Amino acid sequence: MSAGTRRTALDEGVYEVFARKSRGEPLRHVGCVDAPGEELARVYAWKTYDEEKWFEMCVVPRAAVIPVNRQDGPWGSRKTGR
Amino acid sequence: MGKPEDGALTDGALTERAGGGATAGGQSETLARHVLSLADTKRLLGIRYSDWLLGSPSIETGIAASSMAQDEWGHARLLYSMLKRFGFDPFQMEHERPASRYCSAPALDAPFADWAEFVAAVVVVDGALEVALASLADGNFALARSRVPKMLAEETYHRQFGAAWFRRLADGGGEGADRLEAAVRAFLPSTLAWLVPEDAAYESLAADGAVRPGSRVLGCFNDRVGGVLGAVGLSPLAVEPAREAWDAERRRGPGAPAEEAVERARGDRNRALFVE
Repeated sequence: MSAGTRRTALDEGVYEVFARKSRGEPLRHVGCVDAPGEELARVYAWKTYDEEKWFEMCVVPRAAVIPVNRQDGPWGSRKTGR
Repeated sequence: MGKPEDGALTDGALTERAGGGATAGGQSETLARHVLSLADTKRLLGIRYSDWLLGSPSIETGIAASSMAQDEWGHARLLYSMLKRFGFDPFQMEHERPASRYCSAPALDAPFADWAEFVAAVVVVDGALEVALASLADGNFALARSRVPKMLAEETYHRQFGAAWFRRLADGGGEGADRLEAAVRAFLPSTLAWLVPEDAAYESLAADGAVRPGSRVLGCFNDRVGGVLGAVGLSPLAVEPAREAWDAERRRGPGAPAEEAVERARGDRNRALFVE
């Protein structure tokens, strides 16, 4: 598995969830899910963040996020944990 | 318009309303029975999914189970409401029938014993429901043609959930894979018989264009779940449907869902709060 920086007993990784409500709106970060792979990450994201009628939703493995100016946030230095 | 006291669909109880798009004459009752079997199976599947809101392998999995349970109940509600088109009272069908009158797939009669049974049911039973709904949406029942496609769109996520978890358990080997295979072996025979009844009622619906012919439905089911089930070495085409003691009126094999589940399905404990 290539996604995770955080591992659980289920060998899951963290996926960041981005979504937008309309075509012209920018994608915004709405949360994250733990999942063992891309397929379940998509399902978990759609089912977890279902408070809106999203036009588009994407998931990104946390490990794929490259921090630019900070290393102390959840995405800095490919940190483990949320 | 006659409605049976105990909520059963009895001969002659249904009368087609004008403009419903249903097939003509006595076929309307046959089609109503078919829709009822789909509605009851969705209602019971929602109950079984809801048993795992807590205690599933992860928080995200529990949330997904919760969402899928709600999907199933919403779909059941829509299907029950279609019975109005045949002159039947959806409220009575949802809230006033005994367990012995339920037409749900037998695989859902008892709670899932473990997570492997949950996963097997998502693939086998939910998969069979999806194929049956696609068949109905492809037929000449206008209400189904307009309402079922949205259900099928929501089912996409159930399919992905089931396939991913199935592969995960199967690929993991050991006890998990063994339990998964046992669950599929337990669910498939009765679910195949429920999906493709070999009776005159189903054949007449197919001949009338209300549903796809049984052989085509079986082919669609194999396309839908065959690849997934192959992970434990099973194929829907190699399993003999359990057709013994077929109950033509309820369109299922013998038995009935557990009373406790039906009490929840009917909302017995909330009866005083029902608002019309």
